[in-house]
Amino acid sequence: MSERFEVSISDPEYPKALKDLHDAPERLYCIGDRTLLVPGLAVIGSRKATPYGLKCAQIFAGWAASKGIVIISGAAMGCDQAAHRAALEVEGPTIAVLGCGADVDYPKRAAGMLAQIRSVGLVLAEAPWGSEPQRFRFARRNRLIAALSYAVLVVEASLPSGTFGTAKAAEEISRVLLAVPGSIFAPECRGTNRLLSQSACPVSNVSELAGAIGVFELRNETLAPEPFLEDALARALIADPMRPDDVARALNMDIVDVSRQLGRLERDKRVARYPDGRYGPC
Amino acid sequence: MTEFGRASIHTATLAGTSTVPVEVQADVGLGLPCFHIVGMADAAVLEARQRVRSAIKAAGYRFPNASVVVNLAPAPLRKHGTGFDLPVATAILVATGQLSARALDGCALVGELSLSGRIEPVAGLLAHACAARDTGRTLVGPPDLMAYSGVLPDLTVRAASHISQIAHPTAEECDPHDLEPLGNTLQPDMAEVVGQAMAKRTLEVAAAGGHNLLMLGPPGSGKSMLARRLPGLLPPLGMEQRLQTALVHSVAGLGESAALQGVRPFREPHHTCTAAGMVGGGSPPRPGEASLAHNGVLFLDELTHFGPAVLQSLRQPLEDGFVTLVRAQGRVRYPSRFSLVAAANPCPCGYLGDGDRSCECAPASVIRYRDRIGGPLLDRIDMSIRVDRVDPSLLVTEQAEEASSKIASRVMAAHLRALERGGQNSELSGSDLLAVCGLNSRSQRTLVTLAKHTAASGRAITRVLRVARTIADLEGTDLVASEHLEEAFGYRVTDRGVLG
Repeated sequence: MSERFEVSISDPEYPKALKDLHDAPERLYCIGDRTLLVPGLAVIGSRKATPYGLKCAQIFAGWAASKGIVIISGAAMGCDQAAHRAALEVEGPTIAVLGCGADVDYPKRAAGMLAQIRSVGLVLAEAPWGSEPQRFRFARRNRLIAALSYAVLVVEASLPSGTFGTAKAAEEISRVLLAVPGSIFAPECRGTNRLLSQSACPVSNVSELAGAIGVFELRNETLAPEPFLEDALARALIADPMRPDDVARALNMDIVDVSRQLGRLERDKRVARYPDGRYGPC
Repeated sequence: MTEFGRASIHTATLAGTSTVPVEVQADVGLGLPCFHIVGMADAAVLEARQRVRSAIKAAGYRFPNASVVVNLAPAPLRKHGTGFDLPVATAILVATGQLSARALDGCALVGELSLSGRIEPVAGLLAHACAARDTGRTLVGPPDLMAYSGVLPDLTVRAASHISQIAHPTAEECDPHDLEPLGNTLQPDMAEVVGQAMAKRTLEVAAAGGHNLLMLGPPGSGKSMLARRLPGLLPPLGMEQRLQTALVHSVAGLGESAALQGVRPFREPHHTCTAAGMVGGGSPPRPGEASLAHNGVLFLDELTHFGPAVLQSLRQPLEDGFVTLVRAQGRVRYPSRFSLVAAANPCPCGYLGDGDRSCECAPASVIRYRDRIGGPLLDRIDMSIRVDRVDPSLLVTEQAEEASSKIASRVMAAHLRALERGGQNSELSGSDLLAVCGLNSRSQRTLVTLAKHTAASGRAITRVLRVARTIADLEGTDLVASEHLEEAFGYRVTDRGVLG
């Protein structure tokens, strides 16, 4: 497909939802499938994501895309890319809104993914062709993501976070704001938990997401893993990601036992090792 | 009245950690008074003329008022250093009949002279001693030689503190220096490190299997403190290993007595170190940090700040256990078999994943930074851990931590098990590695599942297996079981050297 086209604010196919912005862009520069310019679900989150955030993005975006809902995100590292990839995986529709020209690959490492979105999805930008990424454009890009969607799902955000710009824009133009709750001890989840305490609606499984965005879902799926009540270590880590040293102290165990049990839990996919050395839910 | 004559004296010049025999030939004859040294001598050797002249006079001998020509044979070999002072002076004294040639039969001489005639030690004295032992010559030189009688029992030395004593067969009575093995008693003790149970366990495994280690953690988390305690966990050095380490230190002009007493070296080059500083170089060639760490630990703090060429230069020593320097003057080889410990911050600002301070780096810059941690050395690093700051409340509570000596005894037992099988676990790979692991169907399943879930590459799996073998050795079992693999996966190195 990969069709290049421009949409001006006076065109009939200009997304009406965007006009909710007081400074709606005059012209959109797009590459891809023009039929995707309909309201969708924004799935966003932090760039420094934990396996928890990535998995949430993957599950929720994957499910919504499989229902034909357009997944809108910003192609940034971490949660954004996980959401796009999940949509591509189930061959669902997805829009990447860029802070540079729609024909520019940024972030560079996402070039392959962007090429795929241009061919089966839609890449959209407010900046003219060939514009280089610039800081101020990303703040505006976040407003576009919020405006193009009827609901914004924040899967993981710390404090402070760029994700808050999108969340704030969503509030201003009365979009449904959803957030995935996290551990109250995890710094990576402070942002999402803050959104929840303010106005966001919690989403902890697919049914809740379905209810929130008005998609009828028959099966009552739960995402929470089976409770491992027999395993104090797994329980402790799923509640609060910890380093092996802290686990050993908290549960009064020998460090060698702890590291072997962690290996076993990792093998059984109950916990994952985070980039900072902690173990937590995966 | 000057007497004319010829004489020759045996000595040697350094090449790597060994020596090449050199004959000092002196010819004192008729002609205009002059003093020439020929035979590819460097500046330090040529300056010997002034020192020799003064020393001879200060000792009460006469310096011949004649044509003095000294040849250093073989002439095409480049000679360097101040160790020729004593042989040159002695050759002149013998040639002029002031010393009897017979007193120096079967002797090799080495030593620098002061203007007052005192005999001073030179770099590489131990290498000269080893050469004298191997050729069966008596080594005549500075009193420092007496220290070697303990480590080189077959060596006969005649120590003299002044050139006037050279003639006397038993030049100077002095007791052989005490060389009580100190071993690990001088090393800092692990008991001083509070908490850090995971890191201590990792060091124990690394010491037992000879595994190289990468530590990632924020500033002030104790990475250097932990690394400095690794030498104290390693098994004691054998006599030959001590001698090899001491030789490198002696050739470099550093004190060799610690190495001779079995203290494993700990080298901590700064990240501004050049490639020549790291693996050796210069003219005359000098051993670098990698060789000075022979049989000890090479600690690279701030790994990402080292130049790529410097890190690249460490490949040969890590693969082969020695460094070969090829220069215009020839090639020299220095031993360099060391345990590598590298440390780095987890991100450019250092605080990624720190509980108390938030990281200010852009995610893309973290990725660029971590790609730098990867690179050429990673192939040779078996273990990687995250080190974090210890909770301050732990620091003030009185808590008994395990002493290095206790850990070292477990390491020793595991080390011996590995040696019985034929070598250190860190050297294992391919079918040999699989053979010594003896995986059963259950542990095979564990390995495959863990590898799948963590997307481990073939290289990563090899490293995990090596480490698991060491963990089983520490436990005293012949077969690598599931729980050993599960523990080993916790120390795994990924392709960027990072966790997760």
